[in-house]
Amino acid sequence: MSERRVSWALLGPGLLVVVLGAAWLLPELPALGLEASDDGAPAGMGATFDELGPDPLVLVGFDADIGTYAEVRPTVRTVMADLLARDARIAFVSLTVEGRAVALAEQARLERAEANANRLLDLGLIPGAEAGLVDLTKGIRPGENPTAQAFAREVAATGIAAFDAIVVVGGNDLGPRSWIEQVAPRIEPVPIVAITPSVLLPEVLPYVASGQLAALLGTPRDGAAYRATAEVGPLERLVEPGGPRPLPVLIGLLVALGVMGQALVVRLIGATRSLGDRDDA
Amino acid sequence: MRRPTITGLVVVVGLLLLADLLVVNSALQDVAGVVVDATILVAAGAALAAGAALVARRLGDLWRRRGDPIGALLVIAGVAAMIAAGLRPGSDGTSDPAVQWLLAALLIPIASTLFGLLFVSTIAAARRSVATGSREAVVLVTATVVTIVLLVPLSGGIGSWLSDAGGSVLGSAVMSVFRGLLIGIALLGAVYAARTMLGIGTADE
Repeated sequence: MSERRVSWALLGPGLLVVVLGAAWLLPELPALGLEASDDGAPAGMGATFDELGPDPLVLVGFDADIGTYAEVRPTVRTVMADLLARDARIAFVSLTVEGRAVALAEQARLERAEANANRLLDLGLIPGAEAGLVDLTKGIRPGENPTAQAFAREVAATGIAAFDAIVVVGGNDLGPRSWIEQVAPRIEPVPIVAITPSVLLPEVLPYVASGQLAALLGTPRDGAAYRATAEVGPLERLVEPGGPRPLPVLIGLLVALGVMGQALVVRLIGATRSLGDRDDA
Repeated sequence: MRRPTITGLVVVVGLLLLADLLVVNSALQDVAGVVVDATILVAAGAALAAGAALVARRLGDLWRRRGDPIGALLVIAGVAAMIAAGLRPGSDGTSDPAVQWLLAALLIPIASTLFGLLFVSTIAAARRSVATGSREAVVLVTATVVTIVLLVPLSGGIGSWLSDAGGSVLGSAVMSVFRGLLIGIALLGAVYAARTMLGIGTADE
């Protein structure tokens, strides 16, 4: 490797971080925006929540992936604020260790932001992957919950049938697909909605088309459009301030395009030259 | 020849759970419940065993002075810190503030940073793959470039058009290939299970 290439390999990532940091500090540009989404996904999520009765019970299957959680985090926090603003009671359950770690961090954040603790129930981690999901449909055993005792008793008595809706925060292996395959056929029909990073779209989109998923926020654009329309009222403090800035996202995309585009162009030129040489021969 | 015991067990358990889903029968439901509980226990035990094996491996590395001693020490210290925070007398387990601090202030930021570095390493790997001259890499990277263009965060009419175009690509092209792959993998799994149970090996066995 030439000396110049070595310098780029060492300095490039650091330079990228500096440029992204500078872009983060610049004011918003009107030509850029993440919320350009016309596919109805944000409206679908709002409509599903609108159809829930008063004081609904919502089960949140929290199995985000730490690597992709940053993409959905602002949307997840807005959904939680939206549900609490609708007087919902929310129970969190995880089936993966990673999901449990993120769920604990989010619950601690809600606690710090002084969300109503009577409306939040931690159902913990259920091991066993798909078998754990099947077990969840047969009965729920909430642990000690000093702040949400009435909620815990109701869930213990009625099980999963107590819930009016299920929100799946996906990213891990056990995402919306597992909930639809393992839980939906075993319980009375309740709307299942999902928040997933873009990487899960090919897996999850068919369930939206078939109606098995009532709503999906699966891209940064969907998430931004939902956040722009959600009305959380006095619970604004639960929402992530700011959200992703489009300019740093654009710079990241341009860097990726530049690096990969340059490689493709070099390859194309090489292929054209070798064809020319063959013709000359 | 492979022994079909494990495959047979998986098929029998799968059929039992499927029958429980389709047929309303209390005896069947009880048996299926026992199987599900056993599966959960086995999965939890396997997860614990994997953690213990990792610690044992790292302790062995330190004892025999092989591998990366700093990495081994960090792994053992991390596991010890989490066990101490969650299992010490008077702890609230995973809800304990010390565990939550370890997760929120250390584990999640460190893991997120590592995943953030994937941005650099992934595009570098894509560049190198194209440079090797592999046709598959060229097709893959070209498709990636097109997808990235569709993700450019523009507002207004152009942004909506890009969003719609991205949706169409996902909804038709990518989805068709992905569904085909899923069906193919499922069929392959079924054929593999049947061959193993019937004791039919591949030609090179």
